[in-house]
Amino acid sequence: MRNGFLFFIGLFASVLLSWAGIVLGSNSQLGKLAPLYDENESKAFPQRRSGVAGQGQFVYDSLNCAACHTQQVRRPDFGSDKARGWGEHQSVARDYIYDTRVQLGNSRLGPDLANLAGRKAPYDAEDLLKLLYTGSGNMPSYKFLFEKRALLGLQPSNYALKLRGDLAAPEGFEIVPTPEANSLVAYLLSQNQVYEYPEARPMQPPAASKEGEHK
Amino acid sequence: MTTASPEISEIDANARFPLSLLLSSALLWLIVSGLLALLSFAQNLNPALLADCPYLSFGRTRALQETAFVYGWIANSGFAVSLWILGRLSGSPLRSLNWVTIGTLFWNLAVTLGLVGIALGDGSSIPFLHVPSYVQPLLLFSFGAIAVSGVLAWTGRARRTAFAAQWYAVAALFLFPWLFSAAQAMLVWLPIRGTLQAVAAGWFMQGAWTLWIAPMALGAAYYLVPKISGRVIPSYDFAALSFWTLLVVGGWTGGRHLIGGPVPAWVASIAIVSCGLLIFHYVVTAINLRGAFGHRSVALKFISFGLVAYVIGGVADAATAMRSVAQFTQFTWVTQAQSQLALTGAFSMIVFGAIYFLVPRIFNQAWPSTALIRAHHIAALLGTVALVVALAMAGVVQGRDLADAAVNFSDIAHHMRSWLLIAAAAQALLVLGNVILAFHFARVVFAKPAVVAENLFSQPPAMEASVT
Repeated sequence: MRNGFLFFIGLFASVLLSWAGIVLGSNSQLGKLAPLYDENESKAFPQRRSGVAGQGQFVYDSLNCAACHTQQVRRPDFGSDKARGWGEHQSVARDYIYDTRVQLGNSRLGPDLANLAGRKAPYDAEDLLKLLYTGSGNMPSYKFLFEKRALLGLQPSNYALKLRGDLAAPEGFEIVPTPEANSLVAYLLSQNQVYEYPEARPMQPPAASKEGEHK
Repeated sequence: MTTASPEISEIDANARFPLSLLLSSALLWLIVSGLLALLSFAQNLNPALLADCPYLSFGRTRALQETAFVYGWIANSGFAVSLWILGRLSGSPLRSLNWVTIGTLFWNLAVTLGLVGIALGDGSSIPFLHVPSYVQPLLLFSFGAIAVSGVLAWTGRARRTAFAAQWYAVAALFLFPWLFSAAQAMLVWLPIRGTLQAVAAGWFMQGAWTLWIAPMALGAAYYLVPKISGRVIPSYDFAALSFWTLLVVGGWTGGRHLIGGPVPAWVASIAIVSCGLLIFHYVVTAINLRGAFGHRSVALKFISFGLVAYVIGGVADAATAMRSVAQFTQFTWVTQAQSQLALTGAFSMIVFGAIYFLVPRIFNQAWPSTALIRAHHIAALLGTVALVVALAMAGVVQGRDLADAAVNFSDIAHHMRSWLLIAAAAQALLVLGNVILAFHFARVVFAKPAVVAENLFSQPPAMEASVT
């Protein structure tokens, strides 16, 4: 390697080529991915999150929830994702087009959350707030997302957690979720990938598709 | 050490202050990240630990640990070793060292701010890019300031032909800013659409490893192995081929973690093929550097271990990239085991070897204690092996359990518990070893030279602590 200039060109080309190939290549495929308008439902999918849920995405991001949770359901024959009830079909790129920060994740110390609100036995906001407050099994509690307030003889807040037993707030106090907790829960409840895009359907072998028309 | 002539010492002595600044910050961050890793394991075993402290919640501890390790330890120590090699191979003292000093101060200020920012909740969950957006430009500028010296050493080199060690060191210094700024632009400043972010993040993470971290370690190995063993590198012609394989193919392995994910399938397929192609690079590196094995020099003991870890890690990457394997191993501790094998096993060990070689030379004095070196060597060796094996086993258990929908997450955690306990113990051993190294380094820095430098250099083996 006598020619220093050529060497630098080579270095630069190697990083540029891989970037162009992988990032620009997939960009040309997915960059213009549009929502799908379903005439039967008169709605376009995916649906945008509410503003609060959009804020919750940043709470999720800043707490690095991705250290334990993925947000990608794999296809039914690839792992136990479907059997665990995380989703009926695989996640596809179109599910994520409105996400400001995509959280696919690479660790499953806890369950997948891509389709948390679309599961067969979905959680409601109260369940999730309680889960965040108490933790469960291997999941730590996130008590710092809640505020312990003195009642001072006033009426308790409508939003106070209804906890029982050891976890209940001491006499004269109440546990109220902070705005972060509420937006995080709103975000989690907007995690819905129930709608099945054509590209999410498994490929049918040509012979099989004749027997049952897939719609 | 077989060279008869004493080594030129002005080149080393000249860079004493900036290099020791880089090395002491590196060792400090190494201990910080080790303690954070220990905390992270403890939190995994007992989720209630520090759960009420928002600054050290589980996810944030993980992000802090990775950031301290990558931007604290790897960057600082990699700079020190790469600059020193470039200086030596250029044949003249390093220039613009004031820029290195200023850059190092600002780099470490940026890392500190980054960690504080992550703890306060300004960080993100992008792997290798957890630092808050506001410190990223500072990191980039400080990198530039430090790299100036390396670039000058390269352009002002005495010989036109460059050595393999120089290719790797220059590649690392030159390519990281491109990777880092491109990743920032695509993920932080102007986030690209949907899952393209995951593709870009994967490209950045794998690029940081194959185009920045691994080249810094390989530069050190290619410089030190022939120098200490006194043998030329066999099949040197292949070294260039191996270098370009790593550079050209490495960036394409970005989809390694996206197998089966909501990204174009060809991204994962290309990553699988690239991981396979890279085996050529690993084999050639092993053949080139086989002189590192069976030598009594302590530097080569660390480096040879690092090379074994590097090659095994490469093969493991290729094996776990296979779809049939990835189905079970992705999303498990196996991924962590692989990154520990690469970062702690390959990078850190090779750089430890380089530190044991270069510190006596820049300070003009031998390491004060063989016992401390031996203690660090044993701790690093046992710690790394136990950590990687325990994490891999935990991952295998986790992968098997995850595949069975009947096993719930509490049970999976319970099944992995004993392996994670071993991993935590191994991590503690690693921290202990690193504290020993830092203490030993401090003794060199603060000690008064016992032997006049010229006497020391006329007998280079005296500087070489050897462990049997």
